[in-house]
Amino acid sequence: MNEAVIEVSGLRKEYRSGFGRRVITALDGIDVTVRPGELFGLLGPNGAGKTTTVKVLLGLTAATAGSARIAGLPVTNPESRRSVGYLPEGHKIPNYLTARQALSIFGRMSGMETAAIRSRSVELLEKLKLSQWIDVRVKKFSKGMTQRLGLACALIHQPQVLLLDEPTDGVDPVGRREIRDILREEAKNGVAVLLNSHLLSEIELTCDRVAVLRAGKVAAQGSVEGLTRKGAKYKMVAAPIDDALVAAFRESGAGVDRVNGHIELSVDNVEHLNALVDQARARGAMLTELAPLRSTLEDVFVDLVKAPEVQP
Amino acid sequence: MKVLVANIEDVFREAAARWTLIAYFCLSTIFIVIFASAVNLDVVNGALAGAKLFGKDVEVGGQFSIEKLVTGFESGFASLLYVLSIFMAIFATAHLVPRMQDKGTIDLYLSRPVSRTKLIGSRYLAGLLLAASNVFYLITAVWLIVGWKTHVLHGKIFLAGGLMIFMIASLLAFSFLIGVITSSTGVSIMMTYGLAIFSIPLMAHQKMEAAFSSDWSAYLLRGLYLVLPKVTEIGMAVFAFVLGQQAPEEAQKAMALQPFVTTALFGIACFALAAVAFKRKEF
Repeated sequence: MNEAVIEVSGLRKEYRSGFGRRVITALDGIDVTVRPGELFGLLGPNGAGKTTTVKVLLGLTAATAGSARIAGLPVTNPESRRSVGYLPEGHKIPNYLTARQALSIFGRMSGMETAAIRSRSVELLEKLKLSQWIDVRVKKFSKGMTQRLGLACALIHQPQVLLLDEPTDGVDPVGRREIRDILREEAKNGVAVLLNSHLLSEIELTCDRVAVLRAGKVAAQGSVEGLTRKGAKYKMVAAPIDDALVAAFRESGAGVDRVNGHIELSVDNVEHLNALVDQARARGAMLTELAPLRSTLEDVFVDLVKAPEVQP
Repeated sequence: MKVLVANIEDVFREAAARWTLIAYFCLSTIFIVIFASAVNLDVVNGALAGAKLFGKDVEVGGQFSIEKLVTGFESGFASLLYVLSIFMAIFATAHLVPRMQDKGTIDLYLSRPVSRTKLIGSRYLAGLLLAASNVFYLITAVWLIVGWKTHVLHGKIFLAGGLMIFMIASLLAFSFLIGVITSSTGVSIMMTYGLAIFSIPLMAHQKMEAAFSSDWSAYLLRGLYLVLPKVTEIGMAVFAFVLGQQAPEEAQKAMALQPFVTTALFGIACFALAAVAFKRKEF
């Protein structure tokens, strides 16, 4: 397994507010790791700490405790950002610049040579379908175009890590798919992508792993598949499924529900499931579908966010 | 170096796109054109035989040394340019920090592998370069016009330009400090102009101290005089520097070391505070 390029451990961030210096805990001991080539989604309701996590990773705000490293360097070292491409939410690329000039300025600030900036700009704007707009000022761009240019600015120096805050915000469905494809291609090339978005369907379509934050803590973390799997619940489509077969299943200890012409089985384990399949076949039923049941990421998210917080 | 080049490109492109650069140079050009068309000199055998200002004859009192006339002209105009260039420089550069600190913009700059001190330092140098380019334009134009009208080329006015940039550098550091703290272009401009205007009468601090009834207020005034930039003294130094030996005694006194050292220290302290405040700021 590759070494993590984003390592966040026990990260804590407290803000002090007002004259009484009331303490607000934005992050309460977060642990997250992202490996090269991984598409990682950061989810959570407003105020859960997603943006604060990203801000700490970029050195925009200092952590109160814990550690955060990018490409092996502590985030307090500006050199750690040499491997980072960042697309902030609601970013404002100076609107007096053209796409070419914006890429030139941000490329140079990332330490790139002029010739490399020139060739990479052409390549990126081509890929993001902005090549016709290369010498047009940003103030003439639509929201979707500005967003795509923001992504180009984040990618200009070929970073190892991409931190993206709502990257498809304001982008039409076709553009969204194109951005998803670009992110997958970057991940395929070994770039670690950390995606921060409210669009759960977007995260579900794009990410391999997610962390759900709630009140500054990681409420759940894992693969999208793992989080959306409904325990040991399966959908079985077979014919015929008569009452005798259902009764036999129940006798074995399985939970059985008839739903729209198929049955949903709750079993103890895979062996139990196989025993039920054998039973159905023995009674002459023809099996046409057997699949694990999943929730949507939205269901998982809502359940996690609504669940009462367990006090230590 | 790449960061500095990127910031220079950014600052100049912004100035050009927002008409600041054009307005900056247009105003300077208007001043130069008025100056060029207002002055008409009649030079005979290296001496001034007659002069016209805005088309009206000026009494020159017989044959007048053209060398003296050139230094006189240049010193007067250098003093005028000193005021004009400070006013325009602050107006054209005060937005550099507040606009960079805008939400959604600052993230783009700070997500690059550049320390905050380097970022604000290169922004400061880019702003100073913008102001210096205007000073250079104004001075070169005045120098060329004087040379064209009198056939005498006198180089000291360029060194006076260095003093103007020195004063601008000190006030720009203060403007950056206010910009970092308040993130407001308006407040930054007002406070910097306010500081420049407030420091003008402080040159007469000794006379003012004598008028105060309490010691502490006199000490406070002296303290302010020592700490704040010496806008009047440096202006007089610009005048005396170009005029040389002919300069009045009071103007020659302004060429002492103290006003330069304290003005430089004020600028350095303001920039250091701006850098520390920017480094500690949470976005």
